[in-house]
Amino acid sequence: MELEFESRYDINRTAEFIISKSFTRIALQFPDELLKDSTKVVSALKSKTRLLTDREVRFFVMADTTYGSCCIDEVGALHIDAECVVHYGQTCLSPTSALPAFFVFGKASINISSCVKHLVDYASKSDKPIMILYGLEYAHVIPHIREELGLSETESQLKFSVANVLCSFISPSKDPRESMEHPRPYSDSLSSSRNYRLGGLTWDLLEGSKIEDYLLFWIGSDNSAFANVVLTFNGCDIVRYDAEEDSLVTEFHQQRRILMRRYYLVEKAKDANIIGILVGTLGVAGYLHMIHHMQALISAAGKKSYILAMGRPNPAKLANFPECDVFIYISCAQTALLDSKEFMSPVITPFEANLAFSRGSEWTGEYLMQFQDVINSVKLESEAHSESEEPRFSFFQGGYVEDHKRNDQAKNGEEDAGETMALARTAEKALQLKEKDHNSLTKQTAAKSGPEYFLSRAYRGLEINSDNTLPEAYIVGRSGKASGYRHE
Amino acid sequence: MVKFTSEELRRIMDYKHNIRNMSVIAHVDHGKSTLTDSLVAAAGIIAQEVAGDVRMTDTRADEAERGITIKSTGISLYYEMTDASLKSFTGARDGNEYLINLIDSPGHVDFSSEVTAALRITDGALVVVDCIEGVCVQTETVLRQALGERIRPVLTVNKMDRCFLELQVDGEEAYQTFSRVIENANVIMATYEDPLLGDVQVYPEKGTVAFSAGLHGWAFTLTNFAKMYASKFGVDESKMMERLWGENFFDPATRKWTTKNTGSATCKRGFVQFCYEPIKQIIATCMNDQKDKLWPMLQKLGVQMKNDEKELVAKPLMKRVMQTWLPASTALLEMMIFHLPSPHTAQRYRVENLYEGPLDDKYANAIRNCDPNGPLMLYVSKMIPASDKGRFFAFGRVFAGKVSTGMKVRIMGPNFVPGEKKDLYVKSVQRTVIWMGKRQETVEDVPCGNTVAMVGLDQFITKNATLTNESEVDAHPIRAMKFSVSPVVRVAVQCKVASDLPKLVEGLKRLSKSDPMVVCSMEESGQHIVAGAGELHIEICLKDLQDDFMGGAEIIKSDPVVSFRETVCERSSRTVMSKSPNKHNRLYMEARPMEDGLAEAIDDGRIGPRDDPKIRSKILAEEFGWDKDLAKKIWAFGPETTGPNMVVDMCKGVQYLNEIKDSVVAGFQWASKEGPLCEENMRGICFEVCDVVLHSDAIHRGGGQVIPTARRVIYASQITAKPRLLEPVYMVEIQAPEGALGGIYSVLNQKRGHVFEEMQRPGTPLYNIKAYLPVVESFGFSAQLRAATSGQAFPQSVFDHWDMMASDPLELGTQASTLVAEIRKRKGLKEQMTPLSDFEDKL
Repeated sequence: MELEFESRYDINRTAEFIISKSFTRIALQFPDELLKDSTKVVSALKSKTRLLTDREVRFFVMADTTYGSCCIDEVGALHIDAECVVHYGQTCLSPTSALPAFFVFGKASINISSCVKHLVDYASKSDKPIMILYGLEYAHVIPHIREELGLSETESQLKFSVANVLCSFISPSKDPRESMEHPRPYSDSLSSSRNYRLGGLTWDLLEGSKIEDYLLFWIGSDNSAFANVVLTFNGCDIVRYDAEEDSLVTEFHQQRRILMRRYYLVEKAKDANIIGILVGTLGVAGYLHMIHHMQALISAAGKKSYILAMGRPNPAKLANFPECDVFIYISCAQTALLDSKEFMSPVITPFEANLAFSRGSEWTGEYLMQFQDVINSVKLESEAHSESEEPRFSFFQGGYVEDHKRNDQAKNGEEDAGETMALARTAEKALQLKEKDHNSLTKQTAAKSGPEYFLSRAYRGLEINSDNTLPEAYIVGRSGKASGYRHE
Repeated sequence: MVKFTSEELRRIMDYKHNIRNMSVIAHVDHGKSTLTDSLVAAAGIIAQEVAGDVRMTDTRADEAERGITIKSTGISLYYEMTDASLKSFTGARDGNEYLINLIDSPGHVDFSSEVTAALRITDGALVVVDCIEGVCVQTETVLRQALGERIRPVLTVNKMDRCFLELQVDGEEAYQTFSRVIENANVIMATYEDPLLGDVQVYPEKGTVAFSAGLHGWAFTLTNFAKMYASKFGVDESKMMERLWGENFFDPATRKWTTKNTGSATCKRGFVQFCYEPIKQIIATCMNDQKDKLWPMLQKLGVQMKNDEKELVAKPLMKRVMQTWLPASTALLEMMIFHLPSPHTAQRYRVENLYEGPLDDKYANAIRNCDPNGPLMLYVSKMIPASDKGRFFAFGRVFAGKVSTGMKVRIMGPNFVPGEKKDLYVKSVQRTVIWMGKRQETVEDVPCGNTVAMVGLDQFITKNATLTNESEVDAHPIRAMKFSVSPVVRVAVQCKVASDLPKLVEGLKRLSKSDPMVVCSMEESGQHIVAGAGELHIEICLKDLQDDFMGGAEIIKSDPVVSFRETVCERSSRTVMSKSPNKHNRLYMEARPMEDGLAEAIDDGRIGPRDDPKIRSKILAEEFGWDKDLAKKIWAFGPETTGPNMVVDMCKGVQYLNEIKDSVVAGFQWASKEGPLCEENMRGICFEVCDVVLHSDAIHRGGGQVIPTARRVIYASQITAKPRLLEPVYMVEIQAPEGALGGIYSVLNQKRGHVFEEMQRPGTPLYNIKAYLPVVESFGFSAQLRAATSGQAFPQSVFDHWDMMASDPLELGTQASTLVAEIRKRKGLKEQMTPLSDFEDKL
């Protein structure tokens, strides 16, 4: 029992890692479902480290992270001045920006022989080579599977290839730029093969072959990591081996539909005037760069953007910003796909935003999730596409639409400079108009910025034109909980 | 054919009194195109250089194949009147040369949008009616449309040859048939009493009705015969014309005119005696090859035949003789020139229908006076694919001013609002072009009163637009066209190869440009949708899409998809309540069906968000029995702020209610677009906000709390109000002989259709059947009907109304619930509907 626990949480390896780097303040990050084991892990680690070193090592448990639990909560860790984060459970292995991180994937149980049998059966049906990908919780059995398949560690037969785990330790790269370049570091030097990375896995393809030539075999559950694979390699045949059910799943209508659905969201985003940029991570390397990139992209497209930081988005939070026609969720690859009918406005990924807001870019079926890839792809594209003068065709309005500021921008650059003045001016104009449309039920036209939207509302809250310039007397506020204040 | 250089043609375009813009309209298969062909053959203008080697009427291959017209095509005709024939013409004119811009339009209902586009740019219409089949559903539809646009009609009773050859009816019977046809047409026209347009009914004795045989290329008006006989009887032409129609009889034995049939064997109606019989006789002589009799007769009529023509026998001979004696072009063109208005005359009264702005500004005046020196007012009615793939000509009519090559124009799109920059472009016209047959000739400029095609604007115009001078910033646009059909049939298209997606997108873009009616949109699931007026329309569109607009890249199309609507049939069984996510706010609502006719009134725009609230409450109170005060409490229409659903505030004395109005409306717009049953639009539901409990802190009752809650409570109130599905229903009109009726009924029964009118067409063995047919069942209907009646019945279907499906979609196993499950599956939703308990909360 004790042993199983130690191996599940990799206590030994973790302790060795801590000692080898001589860290003394360690943050342990648990997802909600593993939180119940956190105290046991801490005491196990403590006793282990005490055996190995005489320095005092302090452990801190972090839970309930602001963003997705698959990413390293660097801000949280910095609060306690931690030197390193040990992350438990499912992870996206996104590069961090400030702290080194050690990952414990956990070990899910699997029937190896049955898995291999399914694999071989499946392989016999087709003469295409098979690429084996897996959820990180199954990483521990991969050597066994290799063995069963009769593959040695280093060489792979033509028929089967197995992806490797990228690493279980990430050290931050100081320069975000550097980590940008990092996805294909040795693809240039070894031009004979192409290197892929996705969700913490890495694999090389043989010379002259494309990923489309492979059949993908996924070992793991139907989670967001798998959804990523399906989306990214939407041109490949994919099967999933479900370890819990011990069965092979070949029908992925739902997943294919996701791709179509994302396409719809991209088209929808093209019609947006106001865009909310949701900051969904404060840790994934390059997130700041990405935010800036998005801002630049949006303003170049003649649209208005607002940055919103709200932790994990939910329908109620987003509905507080009804003026936003679309939200871009900047987060790690595995939490980025937010799609629910409950959201009033669509939430898209940076990659999709790229498609939507850079004119002339067309979707060819390729799908990128990682920040680095997205930014790289833009660099290539921006040179390829010259701006066309033609207005954009909208599938929702069934005609051509002009993206407004596009033309105006050049003419009234000064006007944009004084945003606040613009607000005052539009406010003035709207007040004059207000009389006339007091009882009108229509929204005149789609608002192009927050203040404009605000002015089109029937109720605006504050009295803008109060004559009384004297300060009000201060009064004691309410106290208590929202469900019932003390004075109520 | 008339050979012209573009300079010569351009010269006539300046004579605004001598231009006639007219369209040819009729029911399908009544012979529009054939008749047009005979006009073109005689008077069509072609470029000098290409004369002889191009056939003018050479249009799309699929048109020829199916024998129907699909796109409307414009052709210019030139006709020089003789002084003698112009003697009685009293209107203004500049010389004897006339330019007739003629547009041949399709007759099939699926393409009536083409007719609409044609009518907008013409001032007169030649209504073609089959003399046997009479006035049919499409004749009626297009005629109404024409009159709505203030287009003056003239009529031609076509396929006269059938009377003589096929049916061999005698004179009196034929007269009765013709007069019935004319009467039927007049009944429709009489309903359009319009003081400005005057009497629009047609009368043979006034020369506004012609009798034609398009196939054989001959036609006459009573004027032709009146001229012939006037001198003989020593009366003037107009007197003679009156005698040739109506209750005027002549007895050659007594040589006396009477207004009653005297009963003597030789006494015959004027029309029969002097028009019908002579033609009949000539035709009979030709067909029987009695040449010895024929030549003297022809000589008497003053018809000269060429020697080689005299060699012909039977039908070709008859055709030749008739064409020489009564050429269709002369009769019809003279009728048009005499009785249809010039742009100068027509724009005087059409300006009210056309111009959206104030009718006393300079733009209205320029249109009214057809002023070539005024500001440019040009309406682009359709986009015509150019020969180089991917480009389009913007085709339209100049109502005022001149449009010239290189000119900078303001393009006001359909969503343009004066004073705003939305849907507005300033671009220059690369070339102005006129059609000379198949060939386009560039001209320097085109003055008002003419049709024109422009190059270089296609990137900025989707379907239609109003053009004016760059500097005319105060101009309002010309009113958008109103179509009589709506795109109810939808198919999802997908490309076979995923990487062809950009091609598909580009193709759809072009398709939506090339057709005034087709709508290219997208489903929530990401599928591209092409929507059209009918099965045939869709078929043609997809063919164009694949062959012309996507360069042959393969596409996969789904089975036709029909959109439904969600409604309720009772008031909610109880007031439902939903709590906001933070549980501090509660909304109470009830749903109820709208009063009969209210949803339609909103559709027609009689009631809408832009109305004056006073007028709105008056209509609601008087026609729909609403309480006057309640009518003032409508918060919104939806979906899209104009749809046929409403939220009404029924609360009394609720604090902060005004604060959440915007949020509730936002939630309502969202919910009414995707109902709880299968995410189809709602229709005909009135949501009443009964009570609202709000948290006293503004921060706890913000949009984030209220919008999702409003949506949930709207769903809950709909589910508790006996929700139902509405399905679209076609009105089908079928014309068939008695023997085919059995087959028609059985097919209709199979398809859940029901007949509501069956009428024998007087004087014919034909029956007219009108039936309602659910659109869902209509696919393959024509084919099945043809099979069941051995090709004798041909249906015309037009969207008519939404019909409630009686079965309960919430009850398992009913037709409606199966349908809901299917729709949900197609849309990729959870197959089970979200239960009420997810939307409604308990206190």
